[in-house]
Amino acid sequence: MRKPALILSILVLIIVGLVVARAIISNRISTSGLALGQAQDELVRYKTENVIIKERILALSSLNYVSSAAASTGFVESKTNFAVAPAHAIAVAR
Amino acid sequence: MIRYRIVLCFFTLIFGVIILRLFYWQVVKADELSSMGQTQYGQSIKIEPIRGEIETSDGFPIAANKISYLVYVNPKEVKEKERTAKVLSERLSIDQASISGQLAQDLFWVPIARGVDSEVKKEIDGEKIPGVGFEQEFERYYPEASMSANLLGFVGRDEQGNSKGYFGVEGYYDRLLRGKQGSAVQIHDALGRPILARVDNDKSFGTDGSSVVLNINRSIQFIAEKKLKEGIERYGATGGMVAIMDPKTGAIIAMANFPSFDQKNYQNYSDDLYKNTFISNLYEPGSTFKPLVMSAAFNEKLLKPSSRCPNCSGPVTVGGYDLHTWDDKYFPNSTMLEVIQHSDNTGMVYTAQKLGLDNMVSYIDKYGIGKTTGIDLEGEVAPIIKPKDSWYAVDLATTGFGQGISVTPIELLTAFASIANKGVMMEPHVVSSVRDENGKVTKIPPKVLGRPISEATAEIMTEVLVNAVNKGEAQWARIKGYRIAGKTGTASIPVEGHYDPTKTIASFIGFAPAQDPKFIMFVILDRPTARIYGAETAAPIFFGIAQDLFTYYGIPPEE
Repeated sequence: MRKPALILSILVLIIVGLVVARAIISNRISTSGLALGQAQDELVRYKTENVIIKERILALSSLNYVSSAAASTGFVESKTNFAVAPAHAIAVAR
Repeated sequence: MIRYRIVLCFFTLIFGVIILRLFYWQVVKADELSSMGQTQYGQSIKIEPIRGEIETSDGFPIAANKISYLVYVNPKEVKEKERTAKVLSERLSIDQASISGQLAQDLFWVPIARGVDSEVKKEIDGEKIPGVGFEQEFERYYPEASMSANLLGFVGRDEQGNSKGYFGVEGYYDRLLRGKQGSAVQIHDALGRPILARVDNDKSFGTDGSSVVLNINRSIQFIAEKKLKEGIERYGATGGMVAIMDPKTGAIIAMANFPSFDQKNYQNYSDDLYKNTFISNLYEPGSTFKPLVMSAAFNEKLLKPSSRCPNCSGPVTVGGYDLHTWDDKYFPNSTMLEVIQHSDNTGMVYTAQKLGLDNMVSYIDKYGIGKTTGIDLEGEVAPIIKPKDSWYAVDLATTGFGQGISVTPIELLTAFASIANKGVMMEPHVVSSVRDENGKVTKIPPKVLGRPISEATAEIMTEVLVNAVNKGEAQWARIKGYRIAGKTGTASIPVEGHYDPTKTIASFIGFAPAQDPKFIMFVILDRPTARIYGAETAAPIFFGIAQDLFTYYGIPPEE
């Protein structure tokens, strides 16, 4: 008669243990969905900001903008062609 | 015992029926029930792929994507309709009465405006108006405004309302740029609020579009467009175009058309302006065609640069027609070198007759005239070349000086480039590589179209063309110190069976440096009014751009 009582006690303990473990784990992960959602929102926000910043960079680095900005600050187009002819080797080391 | 068996059989039977019924619902009807369930807790939504970018050779996205917003309202949630209409009207520049009308509808979702900037969205957000919402979208953005508009094409919508590229690169590479649409199930709660998007499998995600990298050099394109615009204004032309190509690879470095259009507001422009006239318009090339005929005669060893023209002392009569030179000046006994230098029509009649009909038709074919070049742009056309038995004697004679035959500018540029590239004709190409969404780059190698003339003929023709630049009609505009091979062209415009004496198409085609060309350029002005000849209009534009190209490439003077 002692053996079934022991088995029953062990089973009850396991059940209690599992219930407690479940409660602890559930408690811990219950807010991770929210955190995940917040992380997702942050990610979308940064992605959107990146696209908007890229758009601004492209607008400011466009040749149309650069040339008009250069003209308005007093730069003028150079009409002289300056090119350095490639040097010819006068001796080759053996 | 018998009662026991009856009860057992009864329960076995009941159990069997239940098993069968379960099999029916769980296996046979599984898919149907699953989709019925899905419609109760969610709905299928489309995942729009992000369109690939178009980059110039320096990696600058000349056609990129920007975030814009669709502004919508839920009229049932809007409390102060008058204030809402007023705020939206002010921020979105839409008539207030129109917005009030939208707000009066008995609907849950009413779109108000599309393509709204993030700045405007922020301003509306700041007003905290209940019932107003935003949907994020991507739309095409052109950082260089309408630069290369006719080359790039534009993005519009197809019959289903999906994004679709039209004309130019956008049209030709639409399937690559567009990507593949995905789908997902949007799950919602009991109140219909979306919870999260569940994607059925990996394939249903779709794929974003690939990006294409062009051979177009942004700086050179900018220079070409600027100089062409200035030239059109200076010479009072109705339009113009310019293309610059690397003759060794066929890479299109720049291509510009005017008048043009603004891709962002393409719907406000006439359909005619969408066309890239460099590949879609046919015209009679005039004198720019002469070097092709002359090089054919050189290649067949029928003539040499020193060969004399026996019938260049006055107008030539062929098939009952009197054929004159462009300025009615004649140079008796001139050499073929001088025929090209003076752009002498009578000398070219002699050359064409010497070449003969069979050779003429054969070389027209070898130069690819009458066939599309295969350029990777939507909208290329090709002229129809008459069959050999339909040619009259006068057709052969006028073809010698580029009248009575139609070409597209890209055909002529491609054919002429063979003179610059040792007789080898390359396929013109706008895109240099394609990069998929994972960053895998696929290069597009240069393609040889044919070898219409030998290397020796190309070298001789180059010298003839250098002489034409140095001593011809356009010598006043040339850049001293550089060896440039080129030819002017002034083509009459056929109108109702005759040529219009007051209107011309002025052009200049050439390449430099002559011995090792870095570029070949073709400039065309449509109906210039200040002056009508190519030497006075297209040539200075050509040399103006060439000067900048020498500076850009750091090419020193040779002489």
